[in-house]
Amino acid sequence: MTVAAKPDLTEVDPDRYRPRNKTDLTVCWWIIPIFYNFFGLIFVLLARVMPPQRADRNPDQIAAFFHAHTVTIQIGFCLLMVVIGGSGIANGLVAFQMKRMSVSPVFAYAYIAALAVGALPGCLMAAFSFLTATFRPDRDPQILALLYDIGFLSFVGSLGCFTTQYLVLALAILLDKNNIFPRWMAYVTIWQIVTEVLAAPVFVVKAGPFAWNGSISFYQGTVIFVVYEVCIIYLLKKAIERQPLGERIPD
Amino acid sequence: MRSSIARDPVDFVWIALSAVTAVSWALGAATDGSHLVTSVPTTLGVLAIALLKARGIIRYFMEVQTAPTWLRRFTDLWMVALWGSILTLYLA
Amino acid sequence: MWVFVLGDLIIFGTYFVIFMVERSWHRDVFLESQRHLNLGLGAVNTLVLLTSSRFVAQGVRAARRNDNAHAVRLVLGGGLCGVLFLAIKSYEWASEIAAGHTLATNTFFTFYFMLTGVHLFHVVLGLVILGVVVADLKNPELRRVSTVEAGATYWHLVDLLWVVIFALFYVLR
Repeated sequence: MTVAAKPDLTEVDPDRYRPRNKTDLTVCWWIIPIFYNFFGLIFVLLARVMPPQRADRNPDQIAAFFHAHTVTIQIGFCLLMVVIGGSGIANGLVAFQMKRMSVSPVFAYAYIAALAVGALPGCLMAAFSFLTATFRPDRDPQILALLYDIGFLSFVGSLGCFTTQYLVLALAILLDKNNIFPRWMAYVTIWQIVTEVLAAPVFVVKAGPFAWNGSISFYQGTVIFVVYEVCIIYLLKKAIERQPLGERIPD
Repeated sequence: MRSSIARDPVDFVWIALSAVTAVSWALGAATDGSHLVTSVPTTLGVLAIALLKARGIIRYFMEVQTAPTWLRRFTDLWMVALWGSILTLYLA
Repeated sequence: MWVFVLGDLIIFGTYFVIFMVERSWHRDVFLESQRHLNLGLGAVNTLVLLTSSRFVAQGVRAARRNDNAHAVRLVLGGGLCGVLFLAIKSYEWASEIAAGHTLATNTFFTFYFMLTGVHLFHVVLGLVILGVVVADLKNPELRRVSTVEAGATYWHLVDLLWVVIFALFYVLR
């Protein structure tokens, strides 16, 4: 049956480029889990930003922390500079699927733009403040403490910057009539908003569950984030598989 | 009118839950003051009332009473786990 | 909707357990701070939400009977109670802050503001959902009992979570 159908496909639209397979999308998809593995490796094992260090340390303890981990911080965050663009591919693929939904493409644009808000404080600020600290580790411990605080406050405290992006995604899924993503994904996305908003007190609290290394501010938010990432990566795979070859996406 | 309220489980549950809320309020007010002290009987009473209310809401408002077995089991399990942890942590 | 409700129960359950852990570590601080909460307003808000749940539950039954005009009125009544809850809560927050109790005061007040705040977010979300339910009920083409049921289930979750917050924050001794 496919033998008969194939020539038809090109005859309907002879001039238009039609992909023969989904290699392009599959390559993009594979970059996402690889990127997040690098991300985890850098932040957890090399830079020691996750799980976060204590928020109630004194400057001498902070200086000791930087001295002990100078090399791994430098390796980790220099590596991050190279791979950080992978997050752009992940977000691009989600935005691409959002454009297939029955909602206005403005949702996809808003999704990408809203993510740009969080990219700097959520990831790069921590990297630059830690790299600055390890660049001249013989600095006054007070200055090292400042860089330590900037690093963690931006890394954990920026979680609120991502709420708009999650809201846009949740709304798009709920309004979509093409069933690109199942409705339950919208609910997982709303949990992301809830847990990220709960990270707000890190700016005023130095110990306990709401500090930047607290059970609520950091750990619970991170657990839900991992659940969210696993779900969205899986659903992206499913959406790509179900997507018809050569489907026209509106601009 | 009166007989229709008695026949309607939603109204009955609403009246019952409002009444136990008032009891809970009274329990709290009785131990309120410029200096609060630990009171195990008050806490046990308050937690029992909260459990009653939670189960009433789940079973009759959310209509889990007539829902599939797994949903009834899950919500019961949630209540047992939460109230169990709260009691353990309170009494520990 | 049940996926959301059950997941939310687990997430909030974790918050409540962490609250109890912290309470067992700083019992005196928690008791001393608790005294500054307005027990009466908390209790009234519980009654407000229970009443709104009752309206919404009856709205579901009216929708099942195809009595849509009645269902719309009942769901709107539930929504009005939700607005009243928001108003009381704002007044309560304003008076706590005016009395000098803020997020930064101590762990109890951080918990108080964050958990009631997240609950408030759920109330606002619930009002949006009830709005969708009313719009669907008014439109003969969109009208589906399952939408009304899903919206009602969410609204009862808001009620349920508040019942636990009221017990743990306001009256536990």
